[in-house]
Formats: sequence, C-alpha cells, structure tokens
Amino acid sequence: MTTGTTSPTTRPSSRRRWHSLQAQEARLAWRLILPTALIVFGLVVFPAIFSIWISFHKVGLGNLNDVFHAPFVGLENYRRAVTDFAFVWQGGGNMGAYVTSIVYSFTSTILTIIIGLVAALLLNQPFRARGLSRAIFLFPYVAPIVSVAFVWRWILDPRPSGVLNDILMRLGVIDLPLAYLSTRGLALILVIAFTGWRYFPFAMLMILARLQAIDGTLYEAADVDGANTWQKFRHITMPELRYVVGALFLLRLIWTFNKFDDIFLLTGGGFGTNVLPVLTYQFSFRLFDFGVGAATAMILLLTLVVFLVIYVGMFMRSTEEV
Amino acid sequence: MTAHRANDEPRTFIEHLARHMSWRRFLFSITLFFFLAGILFPFYWMVSSSFKTYAEIGGRHPVYIPSELRPDAYLELFGYWNFQRNILNSFLVAIPTSLIAVVLATMGAYAAARLRFRGKDLILNSILIVYLFPGILLIIPLFAMLANIGAKLGFEVQDNLAILVFTYLAQTLPVALYMLANYFRTIPEEIEQAGLIDGCTRSQVIWKITLPLAVPALVSVVIYTFMIAWNEFLYALVFLNSRDMFTMPIKINTIFNDPTPRPHVVMAASTIMTIPIIIIFLAMERYLAEGLAAGGVKG
Repeated sequence: MTTGTTSPTTRPSSRRRWHSLQAQEARLAWRLILPTALIVFGLVVFPAIFSIWISFHKVGLGNLNDVFHAPFVGLENYRRAVTDFAFVWQGGGNMGAYVTSIVYSFTSTILTIIIGLVAALLLNQPFRARGLSRAIFLFPYVAPIVSVAFVWRWILDPRPSGVLNDILMRLGVIDLPLAYLSTRGLALILVIAFTGWRYFPFAMLMILARLQAIDGTLYEAADVDGANTWQKFRHITMPELRYVVGALFLLRLIWTFNKFDDIFLLTGGGFGTNVLPVLTYQFSFRLFDFGVGAATAMILLLTLVVFLVIYVGMFMRSTEEV
Repeated sequence: MTAHRANDEPRTFIEHLARHMSWRRFLFSITLFFFLAGILFPFYWMVSSSFKTYAEIGGRHPVYIPSELRPDAYLELFGYWNFQRNILNSFLVAIPTSLIAVVLATMGAYAAARLRFRGKDLILNSILIVYLFPGILLIIPLFAMLANIGAKLGFEVQDNLAILVFTYLAQTLPVALYMLANYFRTIPEEIEQAGLIDGCTRSQVIWKITLPLAVPALVSVVIYTFMIAWNEFLYALVFLNSRDMFTMPIKINTIFNDPTPRPHVVMAASTIMTIPIIIIFLAMERYLAEGLAAGGVKG
C-alpha cells in the first residue's frame, strides 16, 4: 500500500513485492469478512432466493422436512393469495390487506415525518433542559415494541375504565365508551397514529442534524432583509431540508411497509388493519400454507421494488432540473 | 430601574405572563408540553399500573395514582408466571448476539474500511440489501431451511436459543458492520501507517491503535445489537414454542392473551423489560443518538 507510489511497473522486483503485499492484504481482508459474509449469505441472501422457489411450490407442515421435493404448482400460490378475501379490495368498508398496506405505509410515513419535523424545530430552539428533552423525545423509539404496544392497548381499553375513555367521557367528548382498536376505520387511524408516535424520533434526529448544519449567516441576511419567521422557514429551512426529507421518506416507507410487530401486537390484523406482513404470517403460521405465505411476501417485495424504481427515477429527474 | 420596579410592584401572575409571553413563546411552550405529556404519559401509565391491585385495575374508573405501591403484579409474575426464566432466556439470547456481532462486525468493518480486495463492493452491497428485505419474507424460507437441516443433522430447530442467536446475528451484523466501517473511516489512516512504519504488524496495529480509538463505536454497537435482540418479537414468536424457552416479548404476549385479562401483570412485565433499556439509553445517550440517526436500529 505504501510502496504503491514508487511506480511499480518499472522494476520487476518491486512490482512482485507490491503484488504480494496486495495479495496478502486481500487474503487478510477475506479472512476478516468471511464469517459475516457467510452468516449474511446463509441466513439472508440464500433464504431470500429460496423464498422465490417456495412461492412456486406447494409447501405445508407435512412436507416441511422434505421441502426440496415439494410439488411445483406454478402461479397457483400467487393466484390463491391475490384472490383471498383478506387480500383483495372489497369496497370502502373492507380495503383488503394490499390497499390497507399502501394506505397505512404512506400516511404513517408522512405523519412520522411531520411530527419529527415539529419536534426537530422545537429542539432546535435554545431552552433550559433541551438535552433532557431530546433524550425523552427518543423514548418511544428505543423502548421495546411489545411494551409500548401493550401500554397503548391498555390506555385504549374499550371498557369505561379505560383511561382514554374515562378522560373523553369526563370532558364530554363522547357519551359511551369506544372500542378504539376494534372499530373499523378508527382502528386504522389509531394504528397510524401509533406508528407516528413511535417512529417520529428517528425523523426528528435526522432533521435536527440537518437543521444544526444550516449556515446561520443565511438567517442573519434574511433578518437584514426584513424577512419574518414564516418567510425564513419557507425560503431557507425548507430548501435545506429537502434532501434529508427525501431520504427519510424512502427509508421510513420501506421499513413501515415491511413492518409486522406494530400491527400484529395492536390489533392482530383485525378490524380493517390487516397488512401484507401480517397476512403473510397468517398464511404461513396459522394456516401453515408456506407457499401462499411466500407468494404474499414476494408480492410485498415486488411492490416495494416497483415503488423504489419510480421514486428514485423521480428523485433523479427533480435533481437534474435544479 | 428601581423606580420602574416600584411602579408595577403588585404584579399578578397574569400580568407577569402577559409581559413575558409572546405568541411565539406561548406556542413553543404548549407544543413542548404536548410532546412531553404525550411521550411520558404512556410510560407513567405502564409503571403506575404495574403497582396497582387487581381491584384497582378492574374498577369502574381508572385509578390515576395508585393508593400505595402494591407488588401484587410482580408477585404473580415471578410466582405463577415464572417470569425469571424468561428474563434469563432474554439475556441468554441478547448477550451472545451482541458480543459475537461486535467481534465479527469489527473484523468485517476493518476489512471494508481499510483493506482493498476484489469483490468488496459486491459483498458490501449484498450485506446492505438486508435493509430492504422484510423480516417476514425471510422467516418462511429460514424456517423451512433450518427444519430441513435440523432433521438431517439431528438438532431441534424449535425452542433452540442458539438458532435464535444465529438469526439475530444475520439481522444485526449488516448494521453493525456498516456503523463500524463508517467509524473506522473517520480514524486517520496516517496513524495506522505510522504504526506500520514503526514495525508493527497489521494485527498489532489493529489491536493497539485502531481498536482503542474505536471504543465509543464498539460500545454503541454492543448496546444496539443487545437492544435489537432484547426487543425482537417475530423470530422468537415463530421459533419458540414452550413457555420455558420464551424470551420476554413472547411471554408478555402470552400473558396479555390470557383468557382472564391481567393488565397489571402485563404492565409489570413490560416495566421490567423497558426500564433497563431506558437506563442504558439515558446513560449512553451521547454516543447512541448519532448511531440511531445512522439507522442503527432498523425500526
């Protein structure tokens, strides 16, 4: 590496030495990265490819131990997945897992970013206990999902003794206790709200980091020009945040689209909140039809890839225009 | 100054507010209060509910402040539910995961950040693809694959904590490697080269120079991977069947789904699971916040 600068092509001896050093380095690198590569290939990349194979074969509990001899069924698993009553759109009252997934992911991603933006703007102001506030703001994100999901289920308890029911009835907002997580429509709204509550700190941290990197002289110049707070936000802060929000949207959308725990723990996928990851689980581990489960997961992944291609294309075009 | 003060000495609270509150500050305070209340109330409700009796939990109205700290829920948790076994299982999974992950990821990250070799981009890109794959997509083939291998080699896939550690490694290694490689790149290469020139071997340079400089990053990777394994739900749900082998999240799910609802016990178990995480986080917040923004926890 250090001898690389002394033109290795001129003298054969130093050239050989350079090559052997390079080879030595490459050997060391391979030895170092091999365990990680093996685990990731064996437990992520190979299973991902294997999943495509499973989605075209009939795999159930009976032939799980002999999965490589499972009968080939072509697109049958896909046909059964997309015609399942839990999957397809059945009118406004029952959107089906596919549309619900899309609605849930987009709205909760946007909500997460909006709450994160407000929180970041808040923490960007100088005030006492700012450090502590920032730490507290991160609690929803670092606390275990099982704990926070069950606390919210307990707060949203449908009995009159549920704390939200009690507060809203005392305030006179509602007359009768609501069954929040088992009412169609309301359940989906609350699941989205929960997602916003839990994941806004991630958006907040990324936006805050960008906010603190904005050149302060821009605001001073705007002050000199007599700009008000809104104008400064609109013409300085927002353009500076464009790229971080674009990246955030992509990342959060992927993760939310893939999310299983939140909805499974809050509603179990019932009452109009079923999404593709939960449906995949139900096909695979409730009905033990692994082929249909894998097909559902592949549809999820394909949708994600299509979206990614469109998004990256749009993002590229919009950056070329600027 | 004094004359001015004497002028408006009998200042009421409202007057005081009117003087010092602009619309901006009012809006700021309200929003901050709203955020803090919305975040802290669920945590207060979790801890306080865990100290209530069954009567307080099942009453007509919620009890906002428990009359006294009653350990009923904790007694039931450690008596009837045998929760200590599940705490132990969680440690048995989370500690090996975090320690193995940090060792393997350090090795891989050093190679990725410092060494040149063919196929590096391919390997690093495939490792990053994990960010795109839904856990639910991988669980089906993993389950089928491991059941198959297990049947051939004669080991049990269900209720095997070691298998769980392996699947958690696959989930945490990519992120750990990515975070550590980014950190190694911030350490100037000249320091290492100076060591090499002074006659140290590569491994001596790594042990004596690079790793001591990377301690903050190593600590945060250990904590992240520990947290991921400690909180993980889906894989544990699929791979664990017997109550004695459950990790905490699965056991809490079981208690929650008990035919007679016992929210105070669920809240007690959730408190036990959450408090250590919050304490570690508060103690290490300075190191951890950056890692969170870098996508340390895929959540």
